[in-house]
Amino acid sequence: MKRIIKIALVVVGLGIALSSTGQNQGSMRINEYLVINTDDFQDDFGQQNSWIELFNSSYGTVDIGGCYLTDDPNNLKKYPIPGGDVLTAIKPRQHILFWADNQPYRGTFHISFDLINADEIILVKSDGTTIIDRIPVRKDLGPNVSFGRAEDGIGSTNGDGEGWQIMERTTPSTNNLTIDKTLQSNRMKALDPWGWIMAVLAMTVVFVALIILYVIFKYIGKFNIRQGKKRVAAQSGKDLSEVQYGELPGEAYAAIAMALHLYRLESETHDEESFVMTLQHTDRSYSPWSSKIYGLRQIPQLKRK
Amino acid sequence: MENILFNLKTFWQFTGFANLQWGHLIMIIIGCFFIYLAIKKEWEPMLLVPIGFGILIGNIPLFAGLSVGVYEEGSVLNILYQGVQQGFYPPLIFMGIGAMTDFSALISNPKLLLIGAAAQFGIFGAYAISLAVGFEPSQAGAIGIIGGADGPTAIFLTSRLAPDLLGAVAVSAYSYMALVPVIQPPIMRLLTTKKERVIRMKPPRPVAPTEKILFPIIGFLLTAFIVPSGIPLLGMLFFGNLIKESGVTRRLANTASGPLIDVVTILIGLTVGASTQADHFLRPDSVKIFIIGALSFMIATFAGVLFVKIFNIFLKEGNKINPLIGNSGVSAVPDSARVSHLIGLEYDKTNYLLMHAMGPNVAGVIGSAVAAGILLGFLA
Repeated sequence: MKRIIKIALVVVGLGIALSSTGQNQGSMRINEYLVINTDDFQDDFGQQNSWIELFNSSYGTVDIGGCYLTDDPNNLKKYPIPGGDVLTAIKPRQHILFWADNQPYRGTFHISFDLINADEIILVKSDGTTIIDRIPVRKDLGPNVSFGRAEDGIGSTNGDGEGWQIMERTTPSTNNLTIDKTLQSNRMKALDPWGWIMAVLAMTVVFVALIILYVIFKYIGKFNIRQGKKRVAAQSGKDLSEVQYGELPGEAYAAIAMALHLYRLESETHDEESFVMTLQHTDRSYSPWSSKIYGLRQIPQLKRK
Repeated sequence: MENILFNLKTFWQFTGFANLQWGHLIMIIIGCFFIYLAIKKEWEPMLLVPIGFGILIGNIPLFAGLSVGVYEEGSVLNILYQGVQQGFYPPLIFMGIGAMTDFSALISNPKLLLIGAAAQFGIFGAYAISLAVGFEPSQAGAIGIIGGADGPTAIFLTSRLAPDLLGAVAVSAYSYMALVPVIQPPIMRLLTTKKERVIRMKPPRPVAPTEKILFPIIGFLLTAFIVPSGIPLLGMLFFGNLIKESGVTRRLANTASGPLIDVVTILIGLTVGASTQADHFLRPDSVKIFIIGALSFMIATFAGVLFVKIFNIFLKEGNKINPLIGNSGVSAVPDSARVSHLIGLEYDKTNYLLMHAMGPNVAGVIGSAVAAGILLGFLA
């Protein structure tokens, strides 16, 4: 039975470990796209084409090598993103741009379809079946006008367009909404110039955390005392109500008293010696080169009167 | 001859003497004073010797481009300093503290946890004062944490919120931790009556091994769920305690509480000391930080002792807490608990408060880590 449980645990553990890659890829989002590019971002070949921006919404690096991009729900493996390219490892909260120019021979980031003829963009996990994110391609977008998530990575993934908007300006490979990094500290300054709100709020949190811990361990302690009493009662044959927690059986007190008595009278620690001698081998190969007696002195220890 | 003189002159320009400024001298004197306090007075010697010597190392005048200073990228000292800057030394120290800490006193009388919470007023009192004297909220958070009386926590939080203040905050926190026996007793005497000082508390009940194992697990899950930003400190603290209490990882516990914490203490002390280069450290802000640091310790002590007095109103006779252990809510382990014990003995030679005081003392460690997590969450 134990063996079966162990095997089950190993299988579950392996399952979790194997699925973790998929979970990471699941944090990728289609973040923005541009269909008609006449005067916008250029690729490495100096050409202006449609583009799709993906965003890693997690706080860990995600390798999208092996995932698929497609515009056809019946062919989820239309463009396999090549594996083994260091550039497909997307750092936390970073973006990557794919050129939808139907020229995949130009490199990893040039895909095998264009957006002018596409109805939908679908991002698929490396298993080739699980859809991570999808979004319909709007046909009403003008030249150099992109459609994207109002805030990076936020919004639906089922294609209903929730959280998406026509962008005021295109933001390829960068944040759709620029967030001021110092905002939080500044906001605190404006909100709480004297620190009283912070003091009250933080002290409440500290107290709540420790009060909950107090309550939990109060009851764990009570439970433990009850169990301890039951144990002692069972050993000593007393009634549960007569037992004090922490009380030891009489035999234990007798043994402690005897041990103390024998300890005080050292000569009587053994009534009879066993005459068994144990030799323990210690590997200490002597060499004047390694001898501390010749090379070192003891570390000085400050002695106080 | 002319060549020799030219070379000697060039050599002179490379020496520390040629680049010496008053600031360096002042810092070297401060470093020597720390070493004196550590050796002669035995005030926190494990910390003040490395910090004191680190101050000497950091204040040898250098000429630009020598690439040995703690702030020069790629230098040996700079590489060692990364543990402070990136904040990975403090969690390692917390693991060692966890592996050394016995939470039995707290588990046997869990209401002492609340004293550890009350003493965190020192942190937020200092935060408010820092804001009032013109510090930015993130700087105020870093200064406030001095009131937690916890060096690793102070370093961890300051490296995240206000790296520029790291030297001043760390030196201030460790200095006042060493000065706990000086700062706390007058406040404790001021706030307590003679009758209160001789209150005898019930001896702690025996704590079962299962409770000791459950404490770090439940403690971590609860506090980390409430304040996830405190995970580096809380996780390592409770993990260290679990490897101690589990009874099956003695070697790991011995390493965490022995060689590992010693190595990290040496590195953190030395590099924090070295980071106090005169041009970074001798600023009016540092003086303000030292003053606010002292105030934060006082506020924490006030809050701890007063909280016990108020708490006692609601406790039955026989269950009352001696308010002299209120000061132990700050997490200067075990110094503040020792102060409670010694002051208690002054008034009753047979009233041993040490074990009782260890409860709020270790609760203070948890409380200050939670408080640090809150500050990090709001201000980072």
